[in-house]
Amino acid sequence: MSRSTSRGFLPAQICAGVLGVLCVGFAPLTLAADSTAVPEGPSIGPDVAAVEISLAFRPKPDPQRVGYYGFGETATPAMIAGWDIDVRPDGRGLPPGSGSVADGEGLYEEKCAACHGTFGEGEGRWPMIAGGFDTLTESRPEKTVGSYWPYASTLWDYVHRAMPFYEPQSLADDEVYAIVAYVLYLNDLVEDDFVLTRANLATIEMPNRDGFFVDPRPDVKNVACMKDCKDPKEIQITGDSTELGVTPVEHFKGEAEAAGATAAAVDPNLGQNVYQQACATCHKGGLAGAPIVGDQAQWRSRVAQGMGVLADNAINGYQGSVGYMPPKGGQVQLTDDEVTAAVRYMIENSSD
Amino acid sequence: MSKGRHEPADILSLVAEKANSLPLPERRAFLLRGLALAGAAAAGPVLAAVDPDDALPPNIPPWTRSLGRGVVTVPYGVPSEFEANVIRRTVPWLTANNISSISFTPLPELKGIITPNGLVFERYHAGVPDIDPDQHRLMIHGLVERPLVLTMNDLMRFPSVSVIRFIECPANGGMEWRGAQMEALQFTHGMLSCCEWTGVPLSVLLEEVGLKKGAAWVLAEGADGAAMTRSIPLEKALDDTLVVYAQNGEALRPEQGYPVRLLNPGWEGNTSVKWLRRLEIGDQPWYQREETSKYTDLMPDGRARKFSFTQETNSVITFPCPEKPLTQRGRYEIEGLAWSGRGRIRSVDISLDGGVNWRRAELKGLVLPKALTRFSFMWDWDGSPALLQSRAIDETGYVQPTLTQLRAVRGVESIYHKNSIHTWRLAETGEVTNVQID
Ligand code: HEC
Ligand code: HEC
Repeated sequence: MSRSTSRGFLPAQICAGVLGVLCVGFAPLTLAADSTAVPEGPSIGPDVAAVEISLAFRPKPDPQRVGYYGFGETATPAMIAGWDIDVRPDGRGLPPGSGSVADGEGLYEEKCAACHGTFGEGEGRWPMIAGGFDTLTESRPEKTVGSYWPYASTLWDYVHRAMPFYEPQSLADDEVYAIVAYVLYLNDLVEDDFVLTRANLATIEMPNRDGFFVDPRPDVKNVACMKDCKDPKEIQITGDSTELGVTPVEHFKGEAEAAGATAAAVDPNLGQNVYQQACATCHKGGLAGAPIVGDQAQWRSRVAQGMGVLADNAINGYQGSVGYMPPKGGQVQLTDDEVTAAVRYMIENSSD
Repeated sequence: MSKGRHEPADILSLVAEKANSLPLPERRAFLLRGLALAGAAAAGPVLAAVDPDDALPPNIPPWTRSLGRGVVTVPYGVPSEFEANVIRRTVPWLTANNISSISFTPLPELKGIITPNGLVFERYHAGVPDIDPDQHRLMIHGLVERPLVLTMNDLMRFPSVSVIRFIECPANGGMEWRGAQMEALQFTHGMLSCCEWTGVPLSVLLEEVGLKKGAAWVLAEGADGAAMTRSIPLEKALDDTLVVYAQNGEALRPEQGYPVRLLNPGWEGNTSVKWLRRLEIGDQPWYQREETSKYTDLMPDGRARKFSFTQETNSVITFPCPEKPLTQRGRYEIEGLAWSGRGRIRSVDISLDGGVNWRRAELKGLVLPKALTRFSFMWDWDGSPALLQSRAIDETGYVQPTLTQLRAVRGVESIYHKNSIHTWRLAETGEVTNVQID
């Protein structure tokens, strides 16, 4: 990066210039202010405080300083109009235009459905954008436009600025209105004859509009106990990362040990895909007594047997106490690795 | 060593001997020829595979007996080829593709508190754009007296400051809310970096444009394909927010927002918008996708926290760790990193027994606000298994919590801001595993 223009101002000149306020930001005054903030900790000497420039000055907007440097050019209304694309909950920032659910359907099918699914359910690992109502208090909540987003303006703004993923900012304003109308429709928020306009967008009440509150942290208070802080006999290991084997580890564990993890790492969707195609029939709803994926209670003791046992049982099949698990779920064409990936996916979604 | 052929070192001593006996001008010409000769001979032994034993005492290693590469053979220096393992890595299944994705800083390999530019973790929502700085503009508008468009040169004419600050993705550690999942330090804590950043205080730019009455929020927007946006309260913008164009002494890397990004020290990394093209001043927040759908923290009652900006106090032991096990009994320096979005680290405690007893660690080197701080603890390992933990306390007195404490308040679905005490299980073999304890 080249500086074709040399910097014309030294800190001293700034101070001499107009404001004392700014001097506080750069000059020794800061260090005095800063050293009061130095904690009693053992390793912090004054030298440490001295190398740190504080930026803690808070200049009040001062009309006299406006334009002090005079760099840059005026942003004209035309320039601003081209770049200022943000939309607020009150509808400010929306361009003129409109679009119907009916128009949106075709556009959505063409430009969005490949990733987000025909019904907004999300293909593979692409985001789900519809449904998920009443899941926010559940394990694995589904946070979608309909179940989670507080304002419809956010949807308009985001689709306009960032979607479709491979071609952002390619949609005409009316297309955005139509697609947004359709996504709202997929979320049961508007009827099929709805027409979204600049005027009515801000009046749409999203179900979760009151679901947010300002960060109250710090929300937990630990104490710095130093001795006999708990009973050593009560310490329990509640989780061990190596049981899952879902992390790439070949760079420090070597190829052989890492083989299981690598399979999972190769195709991120493998486990989910195999599960959906070969295992969900029984394991989604509990058919034939199969433990339900997502039901932690049903899986806890099974998971405790370890990945090796679970994978073996899934590959070779077995008669258990609650039912019969057929070899590879009955789909013998699956490779052992594919079944193992599905088991991993099932555990991942059934453990706390 | 074969006597029939001259080794480069022999040639050099012959050359030196001969040169000293020549008059000056001839000496120069002779030396140049001699050096070329030595260089040619050097190419052989250095490139050939070195039998490890040949390099060890009492033998003289080949690189001591030859010449190395000349200047600007590598005009922009790169790490030694023997450091090829020190790279960013990703966990592929975390995201649908690698364009909107995340990679992790190799924390086990880092020294001191500065993250080298090429190792800073990556987070993109639409990939890395290649932006020509001459074609880039920063627009500042909204509730201001003088809406401005600045070139990079304009921006660099403002007086600059340099500060060392960490940047952490609030999702750092987020895969571990439900249980221990990641088998490596790089993945449990690697959405973390610390650089020296150079740029202009945003307060200076806001003074320059003149704030109008009612100004209360700043919207920052990126120039990438995600046009990423966040609403920043004016209070922060006037406090320590910077508009930065350099990191660790050189221009920002493309991955870090070249040619210019925002830096909100101590806050969610996502607020430090990269490839910054626009700052709009307004009277209320915009509720963009990145502050509603994402970066809000879902609580067990189904309601969610918004504007949870601060990265609370956190720490982790970086040695030993899964990637760097102990290899034998004996004396070790346990090391780690601590950081707080609220200011300086005041102290760090170490437990070897899963939190029953704690001992104070030393803080090493610079202890700066909102920066990584390195701690150290000397230990004689007798080969017994141990549960290693670190617990940081910042200058506000906040004590890094346990995971049990966090879960009790927040449940396990909030994704972000998991800053709990981390546990490594050290086995008798010296192997280290990521575990969770109660
Ligand atoms: C090639 C796949 C793809 C296509 C096609 C696509 N999207 Fe997306 N969409 C994504 C990805 C990836 C994200 C998440 C981006 C990120 O991480 O920031 C996303 C995010 C979204 C979100 C926000 C989801 C959330 O939970 O925050 C919405 C809404 C959305 N897309 C709507 C659309 C619409 C409408 C279209 C069609 C105009 C579309 N997308 C086309 C891949 C796609
Ligand atoms: C026809 C129904 C059916 C299909 C299809 C099916 N399973 Fe099962 N599965 C069961 C039943 C029933 C059990 C419980 C057996 C018992 O524990 O008594 C079970 C148990 C399991 C277990 C627990 C093993 C243990 O040791 O506790 C795993 C793992 C498993 N299945 C994986 C799979 C995978 C992977 C697939 C797809 C490739 C699959 N299953 C397909 C019926 C099915």
